[in-house]
Amino acid sequence: MAEVEIRAVSKAFKKTQAVSDLSLTVGDGEFVALLGPTGAGKTTTLRLIAGLEMPDRGSIRIGGRDVTGDAPADRDVAFVFQQYSLYPHLTVFENMAFALRAPIRRVPEAEIRAKVREVACLLHIETKLDNKATQLSGGQMQRVAIGRALVRSPAIYLMDEPLSSLDAKLRGEMRLELKRIQTDLGATILYVTHDQTEAMTMASRIGVIEGGRLLQIGTPREIYENPINAHVAARLGQPAINLLPATLFAGAPRGAMTIGARTEHLTIARGGGDVQATVKRIEHLGDQSHLHLDLGGQPVVTLSDPEARLGPGDIVSLRLNKPLFFDADGGRVAA
Amino acid sequence: MNDLSASSRITYGAVPVQPAVVRRIRGLSDKALAWLFITPTMVLLLAINIFPLVWTIYLSFTNYRANRANAPVKWLGIDWYQTILTDPDIWAAMQVTAHFVFWTVVIETVLGFGLAFLIDKKFRGHGVWTTIILLPMMLSPAVVGNFWTFLYQPQIGLFNYVVAFLTGRPASSFQMLGDVTLSPWAIVIVDAWMWTPYVMLICLAGLRSIPDYIYEAAEVDRASKWRQFWSITLPMALPFIMLAVLFRGIENFKMFDMVNLLTGGGPGSTTEVASITLKRAAFESWRTGYSSAFAIILFVTVFGLANIYVKALNRVKSR
Repeated sequence: MAEVEIRAVSKAFKKTQAVSDLSLTVGDGEFVALLGPTGAGKTTTLRLIAGLEMPDRGSIRIGGRDVTGDAPADRDVAFVFQQYSLYPHLTVFENMAFALRAPIRRVPEAEIRAKVREVACLLHIETKLDNKATQLSGGQMQRVAIGRALVRSPAIYLMDEPLSSLDAKLRGEMRLELKRIQTDLGATILYVTHDQTEAMTMASRIGVIEGGRLLQIGTPREIYENPINAHVAARLGQPAINLLPATLFAGAPRGAMTIGARTEHLTIARGGGDVQATVKRIEHLGDQSHLHLDLGGQPVVTLSDPEARLGPGDIVSLRLNKPLFFDADGGRVAA
Repeated sequence: MNDLSASSRITYGAVPVQPAVVRRIRGLSDKALAWLFITPTMVLLLAINIFPLVWTIYLSFTNYRANRANAPVKWLGIDWYQTILTDPDIWAAMQVTAHFVFWTVVIETVLGFGLAFLIDKKFRGHGVWTTIILLPMMLSPAVVGNFWTFLYQPQIGLFNYVVAFLTGRPASSFQMLGDVTLSPWAIVIVDAWMWTPYVMLICLAGLRSIPDYIYEAAEVDRASKWRQFWSITLPMALPFIMLAVLFRGIENFKMFDMVNLLTGGGPGSTTEVASITLKRAAFESWRTGYSSAFAIILFVTVFGLANIYVKALNRVKSR
């Protein structure tokens, strides 16, 4: 394991600027998640570190060594691709042993067997070792793909949305397992995802990326509680943050054009609130309910207690409780 | 039945169609419709494939001669089969065919795959090169046979000239089509020239079907280009290569037109492939019963070999 440092890296594909002037350091043993929408440049960043793409500008250092011009094989990285990328004609065992069998490694066969078995047990696929890679279910294939990376001890594991093709239940399980494995091995992981839950639950730090730029990086808590702009604020939180015109409420600071109100910033009161809103719709999710409100023509979504007996057409009053404020460009304004 | 009538009711309900037509189509059951659609094909197949085959099998047990159609036909049992399978001339023809099939398939597969591998690298202008390489395949075998007889001319032929230029041997010192040792290779060269592009095309489809990310995964896994070729490219393109081998093998087992134009089976019988022997027996000596038996033997051979091969192909595909 080692520290990975990206310095002011840019990469364009023809006219599309995929990554602009991006700098990022992943510390030894750290789990960093890059969070952003499709096309934000997350995957390109990962591929640049792996050496599958060459940067137009900037440098990449792994373990203190400049690897900017090196081939992927010389960088000591492991990559888990979004599309399993297993070798379809090989068995699970052969797939996982593939990297260890590289001639430059010269790992003894007995050691390969032991290592593959150990990782297979870790991922609960030890009974599938003799199966063909194509005979597995999606979840098993992705475990094999992760296993292929884990049998090695690279400087860094690069993971490109490895759980996105799994169903919700399996994704939840794999999230826990991956975090457990990372803690056990003390592995350095750079993890790309568009799923905020994955980023929030697994990462020690989250980098929010959009339009090829790293907007903010910090612990999940920092990013959630202290976003630098409206873009970052909108990436985290379920239901998403409500961005409302500042004129709807009194007491906005100077320069604030938008109020960012998460569900915990909104208190529903039967009476005596700051403003009145009409209930449009209620989504019952069991343990909680999403309350869709109409606030002077602006849609607002917040959580409500399932016990609250509210129905469409009901009038509720809302009170703001230390919300976030943003200026005309979306930048944060201190309250 | 119910499904179809329900859906047709909806369709015809929405679109105004003449009532008579509606009633006629509605009146047919699914089964009747299915028969209606496949009957023309079945009739054609029976008339031009199945019936001639059965008729040929019958003729192969008789002394029938097509040039004496009115002569009484005598039942001979398996006499022709015994005669053919013990005839050294037939075995010679089979050897010539085997030589031709083996070497054309080997050369076309190696060259075809090699070219596909290069074209797949997507260098500048690879599209133009693909088109140029594919040109021979688009010519008629008759045209190819004809102009290669000119290319092989000892005095004016381009082929002899090029060989002379490269080796220093005088161009008129050898005859590709007139020499007993060279002529079997002459037909191999022409077939390889014409059909290598075809093998290339199939191999190219195979190579293009391998996703890039598998190579990227291998790259990150530190597999050398050599190892990537042997453990990814070749195994994953193998079903396609095998398919190309199957097509070329069957095709060349039946080879007639091009060889007939180039050498007519000569000199002597050094390039007399099985189908030329067959054609001579059938339409020069008019031994219809005999040639029917030979045709059946060839058919069973190709059919049997192809079946074994397809089994192997399926095993490779299901890996």
